[in-house]
Amino acid sequence: MIALVDCNNFFASCERVFRPNLISKPVVVLSNNDGCVIARSNEAKSLGVKMGAPAFKSERFFARNGVHVFSSNFALYGDMSKRVMDTIRPEVDEMEVYSIDEAFLVFEGPAAEERARALREKVERWTGIPVSIGLAQTKTLAKVATRIAKKMPEMNGVFTLSSSCDLERALHRCKIEDVWGIGNRSSSKLKSYGITTALKLTLADPAWVRRNLSITGTRLQKELQSTICSPVNDASPRKQSIRTARSFGSEVQSLHALNESVGTFAANCASKLRKEGSCCISITTFVMTNPFKPQAPQYNASRTIKFEVPTNDTLEIVASAIQALKFIYRDGFSYKKAGVLVSAITPSSEVQLGLFDVVDRSKRTSLMTSIDTINTKLGHDKVRLAVQGFDRKWRLRQERLSPCYTTRFTDFLTVKV
Amino acid sequence: MNRKIKLKWCPASAVAFDAVPFFDEGVQAGFPSPAEDHLDLDLDLNSYLVQHPSATFCCRVEGDSMVGAGIQTGDVIMIDRSLTPHKGSIVLAVLDGEFTVKRVDIQDDTLLLIPENPKLKPIEVGEESNFQVWGVVTFVIHKV
Repeated sequence: MIALVDCNNFFASCERVFRPNLISKPVVVLSNNDGCVIARSNEAKSLGVKMGAPAFKSERFFARNGVHVFSSNFALYGDMSKRVMDTIRPEVDEMEVYSIDEAFLVFEGPAAEERARALREKVERWTGIPVSIGLAQTKTLAKVATRIAKKMPEMNGVFTLSSSCDLERALHRCKIEDVWGIGNRSSSKLKSYGITTALKLTLADPAWVRRNLSITGTRLQKELQSTICSPVNDASPRKQSIRTARSFGSEVQSLHALNESVGTFAANCASKLRKEGSCCISITTFVMTNPFKPQAPQYNASRTIKFEVPTNDTLEIVASAIQALKFIYRDGFSYKKAGVLVSAITPSSEVQLGLFDVVDRSKRTSLMTSIDTINTKLGHDKVRLAVQGFDRKWRLRQERLSPCYTTRFTDFLTVKV
Repeated sequence: MNRKIKLKWCPASAVAFDAVPFFDEGVQAGFPSPAEDHLDLDLDLNSYLVQHPSATFCCRVEGDSMVGAGIQTGDVIMIDRSLTPHKGSIVLAVLDGEFTVKRVDIQDDTLLLIPENPKLKPIEVGEESNFQVWGVVTFVIHKV
């Protein structure tokens, strides 16, 4: 059996582990920069707080309804995620960590559901994080099963989708847009052909699916028909692209301030590439104004630059990001967000050298290794390019950040007993 | 609760000690030590203090209700959530939404939280109170 384990309201649950006074109270976690709601406890869901609700519009509602609001604390969530995954690993035959709060598992042999129930209890006891587990023949079906495990309290967090009548009923109830891997575009296309549920997709003509949804659609249809197309894979796949983007705490107008932030994002991307042993071929810089202020002049733009030789060199990547920014920067706008995306990622070991390459690659590599070593020892961005600056006017707004209880020695929470 | 204990959280991973070399001969100086070949593995205090890394948390203690058990203000306690509490275990518990550290005991079917301080009285955990053991305290790290 393939299982999907999914942490319930993960970020909100992490906050609650260290704040037991918030158990059974409405809790929400805001996105980077306190922008919008990205996690809700069940109590917050029942109050009608919507995913993605802009925080500034909901302030009054939160205060009136006693909703506890947190800035996102990714150091804490990352550590708790690692604890959850480490707790699961020895109990299963195979495991693929799919996201910060989800993992696909394989239970071989009989009694899969009993093992899943025992696992669910273990994770909650060891880490304090409640999880739901869905079991089925394929990943896509396991995803459907997990939704049912979450929605039906009488299942106690574990649901197996095995008998054919269960399967048919579940797929009939599963809306097409809720099927794992169906994007917005595919779902509206499918709906226009009357395929509104997962069940209808399983019954569609395979040739038609192939023609209209390409190979991805075919694989999805097969997975819904209980044929494995996407096995549980231990090795995490190399990322296709790395993106660093932030909304600014306060809007910025000057090219100088944008240079600082874009330079920092690009440097982050470069160090992430090196950590993975990867290089990128292209880099995109984008900027945007605040869409929540429609009366202010609006401007969004992006520019992509390609490298002659795939690279993970901070100097090259930052220089190109800033060059791209110069192309797109326009005076007279208040920018709310900027970001950098590096893509077409290849392993460093497979990089083709350029015939007319003018960069001394081996020298640069040892420079980058030194920078990484120093920054690992002394702290993030201790050695940085001058363009990254020290002002950080654009830096995150995190007004309700909880302490990094599990990763920072100095981050103490004082609990009144 | 008549005496307050204040707890401060700190990370298990931050309590990573530099490896302490362990000599099983006495320390010698002056000439090359015949014991050099016997320099044993580096002692890893984490492996001594942390049995289940993903279930172990640390926090800092403020208060004197547990001095009898050697838990004093400023100490770091290690908490293992994977362990089952028994009669006599010292636990980090949540009583009506608040953290506390006490020894658990059961007398005449009543759950008691026993402070380790003669000035303080045991706390009876009634049926109506909201009680949960957060984890079992396994070690106290006390700076002398």
